[in-house]
Amino acid sequence: MEETNAQNIVAEEEHDIIDSQNMQIDKYMTFKSGNEHFGLEIQYVIEIIQLQTITLIPETEDYIKGIINLRGKVIPVIDVRLRFRQKPFEYNDRTCIIVISVKSIVVGLIVEKIAEVVEIKKENILPPPKLGRADKVHSKYVYGIGKVGDAVKLLLDPDKLLNDEDLSVLEQVNEVNSEEE
Amino acid sequence: MAEEFNTEGMLDIYLFENQQLLEQLQEIVLEQKDAECFDEDSINEIFRTMHTIKGSSGIMMFDNITAVSHKLEDIFYYLRESHPENVPHVELVEHVLDVEDFISNEMEKIQAGDLPDGDSSEIIAQLDKFLKKIKKGTAKGGKEPIAENVHEEPTQFYIAPVATSASHFYKIYMHFHEGTEMANIHAYKTVYALKEIAEDLLYFPEDIISDESSAEVILQDGFRMLLQAQCTEEEIHNIINVGYDVEKVDIFECKAEEFLQGFDFGDHSAEIDLESSVEDIEARTQSDDVKETEEEKKPEKPKIAPGDFVIKSREPGKQKKLAKDKGKSEKASFISVNLSKMDQLMDLIGELVISESVVLQNPDLKVPGLNLTNFNKAAAQLSKISTDLQNVIMSMRMVPLTNTFQKMNRIVFDVSRKLGKEVEFEMIGEQTEVDKNIIEHISDPLMHIVRNSVDHGIESKEERIESGKSEKGKVILSAKTEAGKVWISVEDDGKGLDRDKILAKAKAQGLLDESKPEESYTDKEVYQFITLPGFSTNDQVTEYSGRGVGMDVVIQNIQSIGGTLDIESTPGYGSVMSLKIPLTLAIINGIVMETGNSSFVMETGVIKQFVSVNEDMMIHEPNGEEYVMIRGECFPVIRLGERYGLKNYERTVEKGIMMILEVEEKKICLFVDKLVGEQEIVVKPIPSYIKKVKGLSGCTQLGDGSIALILDPGGMVD
Repeated sequence: MEETNAQNIVAEEEHDIIDSQNMQIDKYMTFKSGNEHFGLEIQYVIEIIQLQTITLIPETEDYIKGIINLRGKVIPVIDVRLRFRQKPFEYNDRTCIIVISVKSIVVGLIVEKIAEVVEIKKENILPPPKLGRADKVHSKYVYGIGKVGDAVKLLLDPDKLLNDEDLSVLEQVNEVNSEEE
Repeated sequence: MAEEFNTEGMLDIYLFENQQLLEQLQEIVLEQKDAECFDEDSINEIFRTMHTIKGSSGIMMFDNITAVSHKLEDIFYYLRESHPENVPHVELVEHVLDVEDFISNEMEKIQAGDLPDGDSSEIIAQLDKFLKKIKKGTAKGGKEPIAENVHEEPTQFYIAPVATSASHFYKIYMHFHEGTEMANIHAYKTVYALKEIAEDLLYFPEDIISDESSAEVILQDGFRMLLQAQCTEEEIHNIINVGYDVEKVDIFECKAEEFLQGFDFGDHSAEIDLESSVEDIEARTQSDDVKETEEEKKPEKPKIAPGDFVIKSREPGKQKKLAKDKGKSEKASFISVNLSKMDQLMDLIGELVISESVVLQNPDLKVPGLNLTNFNKAAAQLSKISTDLQNVIMSMRMVPLTNTFQKMNRIVFDVSRKLGKEVEFEMIGEQTEVDKNIIEHISDPLMHIVRNSVDHGIESKEERIESGKSEKGKVILSAKTEAGKVWISVEDDGKGLDRDKILAKAKAQGLLDESKPEESYTDKEVYQFITLPGFSTNDQVTEYSGRGVGMDVVIQNIQSIGGTLDIESTPGYGSVMSLKIPLTLAIINGIVMETGNSSFVMETGVIKQFVSVNEDMMIHEPNGEEYVMIRGECFPVIRLGERYGLKNYERTVEKGIMMILEVEEKKICLFVDKLVGEQEIVVKPIPSYIKKVKGLSGCTQLGDGSIALILDPGGMVD
């Protein structure tokens, strides 16, 4: 149900491209991973597809699950849970792939569950707290925290999600070290 | 919007057609650039090409193109009509190429949305001069120069039957054997065959189809035709040959005036109508035309009765033409398609294949007790069609390198002429098919390399003679597909690269590692220096090279499509530059195999053998390395599953299969679970987001929509 909602909205966007710029402002696609809800700016999202057969690529980072065939286009898919260094989860029929395009790189994100598309006004977005959160691991991918009613959505920076591997590993090490101290 | 589209479409067609014509033209010219002179066919072909370009440019009102092509047409008209001797062939070739350049330049402007404003006066003046020169040459040779081809078609307002000044006029008399039944049908058969080549055709008796009595007239008096066509007498003879029905064929060439007069019974001698004014003659032609069209309509109506004959009759004429026109008709059947549409189609077909497998392997079908006989039949048909569809789209994207290579031919010709070097150019494997995208990317780098070879590589005549080589330099351009790559190499027999000179220059530019002795640089490393920006060993800057830009651009372009450049050189004997380009999207023949739930593809070419082995043949080293003895030869073994850390792969050698691979003279054995089959695969790159994995060169979509990884044998061996 939620999923169809999301798809409808995506489809709608494809129909009226002219308005889409306006339509997309302040809209976020939200999904659940672990216990948190995350949000992605809708302009990055191309479509949502069901989980399909993933071809493994050997010798890559574990969060890169492999490649899928998206209508003749080969795109890599990454597991968001593994990307956040959380425990792997069993894929089931609620598992979805969000296809996003960032700076013309097209990547699929495997997420546990798609939630909905929500509107979050700029004034409802807070910068992430610097201290005190246990899940520091993914805080570097989060550029803001959006309030939707009582719920909180962690807003992801897709560019960092895909690209800052070296940096994040480094920081990871530093963090682990500092935590140990 | 719609209107705009229409004119755009017309312009597109104009550009596309003329581009093809020019390419054809260049091919003809370059083919014969080393000959003594153009042969008759090429002269005709060039003439026709120019004529067509002139015509279409006239319609599009590109005056300068019209003017230039008209001038060149004049020259070839003259060549064709008066067969002059002493034509300076090379000069002529240059003139033709100049014209071609001019027109393609103008066409580029048009394509870019500008007006074709190039100044044609200079080139026309040159052509004029040349025409005068060859005319003078023949006049000396004692031949009568023929009147210049002065027709100004574009300014005429009535539409003549496609008559051109190049047409010949013939009177044809046919006599049939006395006993021939239905001679009128036989005559019609001839008329039909001649229509293929005729620009204008009149015959007597006129009503040969509906009036059966005409058969008698034909038998008695013979069948007469007046033919206007651009062919030789011989060609007509080929179409109408004496056979079981035809007793005798007489063909007389006649003048246009005679043709316009119509049938001149009894008297065959030329009779020029001096009294009638031009208008009269034209009027007569026009009335003839009207008659002609009427006549032509008639035979077409009662088609059913003589149908069999018509089909049969076409054959003798057609066959003869087929052999000659084959090349042309193939070219004519090309259409240009937007590449993005092709991509879209390819994706859609991929999607179709996936949905097909979803339908055909639907779990609902697995319900016990279903009668699926009819379903299976229909499904088999569907699969067949979708496979065909897939094959077609894949082959559509492949283009032979021929055109690119032809361009290089042109460059060698130009550069060598300007530098006063004699260079022979050889092309090998220009039929190698490459994906359209790749062709676009390699054209420029290749041009640089070829130019460098002629300019830097090949020495001047004197130097060559001094070093005991033949006067003529040689450049060989070759292409092949090997080991999943396209290899294009440019080989010259020039002086080769000067190692010391390059090293000295590299040192001067501070490119050498101070701590490393100069001797320890390998030749390959040294040669790689020339691909750095701003590096040129040519002391003198020539028009073509020596500025140090070039090789670095080449490298950049090649690397941008994931290719590499290898430079080999033997001082004094020449150098070889080899481009190794991955065939993104190229189609290769591959063996599909499975290991631990994953599918892999290996290019068929590198697989020497499939062998089933047993444990006795295995040799285990203490350090974990494995070897296998097969018929007295020992090969190192790579277990694919182990290599890539896959799950559930076959560990018992008896249950899997060994493949012997041979790459660059190294042999290894690859152990996989099982073979699936051989098929043509389209290579796609692994998304660049995933960093390069050694031993994998790409991926491909299998028939069921799943993805298989393509193994790079080179990476496996290392």
